[in-house]
Amino acid sequence: MKNYKLILNIVIALMLIGVISYIIQLTTGLVVTDMNNSYSWGLYIAGFAFFVGNAAGGMVLSASIYMFGLKALKPFAKIGALAAFANVIGAMLCVVIDIGQPFRLLNMLIYPNFSSPLIWDVIILSSYAVLSLLYFYVLRFPEIAPEKRILFKDVENAEEFSEKTAKTLAPIALLFAIGIHVVTAWIFATQGAREWWHSAVLAPDFVAVAVSAGTTLVFLFSIMVYGIKEEHKSAYKIMTRFISIAFFVHLFFMYNDFFIHAWYGNEHALHTLAVTLGDYWFVHLLEVVLPLMGILCLMKSKILTKAKVYRASFFILIGVLAHRFLIMPAAFNNLPLTISPMGQQNGNWEYPLASGRFMEGAELFITNHNYVPTFIEWSILIGVISTMTFVVVKWHKLAINK
Amino acid sequence: MRIGMVIDLEKCLGCRTCAVACKQHNAQPPGNWWNRVFTPGSKYHLIKPELGSQYFLPVSCQHCDNAACEKVCPVGATFYSKDKAVLVDYDRCIGCRYCMSACPYGVRQFNWEDPKETHKKIEWIEGGNNYGYQEEHKYDDRLVYSPIREKGIVEKCTFCVQYMDAGEKPACVRACTGEARVIGDLDDPNSEVSRMINNKGAYTLIPEKGTKPKVFYLPPKRKDN
Repeated sequence: MKNYKLILNIVIALMLIGVISYIIQLTTGLVVTDMNNSYSWGLYIAGFAFFVGNAAGGMVLSASIYMFGLKALKPFAKIGALAAFANVIGAMLCVVIDIGQPFRLLNMLIYPNFSSPLIWDVIILSSYAVLSLLYFYVLRFPEIAPEKRILFKDVENAEEFSEKTAKTLAPIALLFAIGIHVVTAWIFATQGAREWWHSAVLAPDFVAVAVSAGTTLVFLFSIMVYGIKEEHKSAYKIMTRFISIAFFVHLFFMYNDFFIHAWYGNEHALHTLAVTLGDYWFVHLLEVVLPLMGILCLMKSKILTKAKVYRASFFILIGVLAHRFLIMPAAFNNLPLTISPMGQQNGNWEYPLASGRFMEGAELFITNHNYVPTFIEWSILIGVISTMTFVVVKWHKLAINK
Repeated sequence: MRIGMVIDLEKCLGCRTCAVACKQHNAQPPGNWWNRVFTPGSKYHLIKPELGSQYFLPVSCQHCDNAACEKVCPVGATFYSKDKAVLVDYDRCIGCRYCMSACPYGVRQFNWEDPKETHKKIEWIEGGNNYGYQEEHKYDDRLVYSPIREKGIVEKCTFCVQYMDAGEKPACVRACTGEARVIGDLDDPNSEVSRMINNKGAYTLIPEKGTKPKVFYLPPKRKDN
């Protein structure tokens, strides 16, 4: 990678800004965000879903090398595993920055409540982090000098061992890769209170988005470290196919859900659509059009160039981030305590709740909140992204096939 | 014993004394309200109802039997007391706000900043003019009430656990000017709450969410203008 030092320095600078912002949040409280009692999750949890999604691709790709015999993808296996690891770290950091009492985080280990999908997610995400590191180590195994090996020291034929173990790990990794999305989706989908999330299609949709975004990320990283290479052409084709098919499946799942609700015409459900397609129409446009532009760019170009791949991945990933952002508004700006007042003909009336944010002259009881993430929220999230980038940039040399 | 409440909407005057008493007795920081009273159907909040078509509806924690907040709490900070009231352990809550998202009634309140800081905004001096029940209260050795909350934790109605444990009724029940609120044992068919629910046709809020609330409402009578 050219400009290695420069990139690393920029990343470290951004990490520092993130850390400073986080210290501000830690000392003053989550009041520095734009969240409130009615809009209780924001950019951090959207980021959490985004990173969990990106984490999949790496392992799905690596696993399909062995399970579906897609040998062309082999040079990208290590990058995939590394990307997966970095994204799980990002996702877990997002939980840490979101909670109000981070010093009590250990309570999750001391007093776990096993009926909570969040506990399942913490368990499966940490297993996935360990698994992707192990997978990375196994793939790199033949390249490590025998005296420097930490695990499996007495293996004699390193090549054969690496190949065999990777083959065994592949299906397990795939299962976990799918598992992290399903369980993350369940955090939302199990909430009967929120019409927008309480849908059986949410978990499959998370998997579809993840395959699309995760593969994009691996594509991007592999171009960054290898550049465009003639011998990788068939791999590019396969990855483009993964990205596009998964994205179309996601579009199908999403609009299928919209259609069913729109047709039946339940007022509460229509309100969720009105938030996403009305109040946030522009973000919705971004989440659909940007990835489509990216995919078109990858599919249509006869000669791939670095710039094209960068542009396409940027479009797709920004689109997916917009999609993750839209997890929140339709859930929180459509209060579950919506009643049909007795003796009145007009049906839907939202019962206001206290915002929890005392400000002189500001409305305290609200039914709607136009959430705009604050500068602190963005800079903390960028801090998380740069931490992940640091992991990848720092170790990218280990991921290159010589 | 399953503790429950009946609110007779016919007797509710809309004076909001219950909301104020609740806020005062439980030392809720500015911006947080465990108990609120609105007129369903009104376009603007906190106005008098239109005669004959609007009524007052007080809403606080519904102490559900199938409480989504209790199920989603990753650390078990939200728990059922022996008589099935839903309580929050202030010492254990990690502030993930999963419960706030899962609760369909919007009754859970978060401490977005240190309440001491919010107090300054309303020019209230600690110790000068004591506000609320002043002792910390533990239930089963778990901190379920403290006069000054830490930042970053969730709080909500406890059916005034600090008073109930001392044999007194919750602040809202005692404060209600119309005597619209009754608290008692839902398991005992002869208790006043059970008889009110059975004989007067009580209902619960958004029963389609399947939360099985333990706060019941008696509908107001309709009036001709």
